[in-house]
Amino acid sequence: MEFTLIFTLHLPGRGISCFLHLHLSSLLAIGSAMKKGLAALFLIGTVASCVTREICDENNQSEMVAWFKTEADGAVSDTIFTTVSVYGTRSGEDFSIIYDSVSASRIVLPLDPNGVSTTFVIDFGSQADTLSIRHDTEYYLISYTCGFAALFTLEMIEHSGNVILGSEVINPVVDAELEQNEEHIWLYF
Amino acid sequence: MQNWNKMKNISGYIFKWIALLLLLLQVPGLSGQDTLRTFGPRIGMNLARFAYIFFDPSEIGAEFSVDMEVYRNLYPAVELGYSTLNESEGDFDYAMSGAFGRVGVDYNVLHQEDRSIHHSLTVGARYGMSVFSHRAVNVTIPSEYWGDFLLESYENTLTGHWIELVGAIKTELVPNLFMGWSLRYKILINPDMDPLFTPLIVPGYGRGTQERGIGFSYSVFYKIPLLKQ
Repeated sequence: MEFTLIFTLHLPGRGISCFLHLHLSSLLAIGSAMKKGLAALFLIGTVASCVTREICDENNQSEMVAWFKTEADGAVSDTIFTTVSVYGTRSGEDFSIIYDSVSASRIVLPLDPNGVSTTFVIDFGSQADTLSIRHDTEYYLISYTCGFAALFTLEMIEHSGNVILGSEVINPVVDAELEQNEEHIWLYF
Repeated sequence: MQNWNKMKNISGYIFKWIALLLLLLQVPGLSGQDTLRTFGPRIGMNLARFAYIFFDPSEIGAEFSVDMEVYRNLYPAVELGYSTLNESEGDFDYAMSGAFGRVGVDYNVLHQEDRSIHHSLTVGARYGMSVFSHRAVNVTIPSEYWGDFLLESYENTLTGHWIELVGAIKTELVPNLFMGWSLRYKILINPDMDPLFTPLIVPGYGRGTQERGIGFSYSVFYKIPLLKQ
């Protein structure tokens, strides 16, 4: 007796599809089993193989979320700047603009896996500040299809004081899984 | 998909001939005439491991087992094997090699009055351990804004531990020659064995990214007849 069973399993979310192939062949042990009146034992041989085909549906960029805050009478509240422009800078070289004259109460900034600190220039319209984040950098595997990503641990924030009055690390761990309403640092104005 | 059908046809072709050969080896009327039960170590080889050559050529390995009935229906077992893997995955190359071992015991739930019948249906458990090394080269940490960071190589030697629940069937086709298969439910005890990245394959266990897994073996055994009683 021989038959083949093939089915496909699709898992949503991480986009994993698995093809399972079973090939069954049976050997009948007749001999003494039948002689003694016992039901024949069927030896079923199977060959199973599962070939996974993962589809990467995740962004492997590690980004830090900075919220704009004001503090009055001990109470901290969100604040919005109507004209915010942000770009990165490294060793005197300016990189492309990340935010271009947008209205925002929070900004999401990519940290640099090539070094131990990342520096941005934040232009609030009338004045600009430099924001430098010192971080520890490790690397971890998201999946074998998505590959590696950087895991940052924020250690220190330095900034000029033209507009930004203070800063605070809320969540020092920055990885590639950015959740809704996640926050890493607060910038006080 | 064409390669899938080809591989399926090849494996089916091979197993058809194995089945036919074993049927031809059966000598009708001989098995069961002897009313004494044969005792001795039973040495097995996992044939399913060779199927990986067709379905996953990047992984090569072998697995052998030894078990023996030391008490009525109780079979202590030892399984040994090795596995190697070389694979390119996206932005990096990955290699793994190592050995594994399992120890445990099976209990035969197929109780028969005629003790000369050696067919068995067993349930059992195993403790497994693997010592292996894995290496990733040309690891790229992508950064769309700042530019990618290249980690040239990473290597680590790891030890994996797991436990298994095993269900198995073994049938004596001709005196002292058995074939059988087993189904295994595996639980990885130390999934975080590497702080940097999880191994792709833990030899003897399976996917290192899965803390639970199902395993299968299809083996041929020979029992060395040391004692009849």
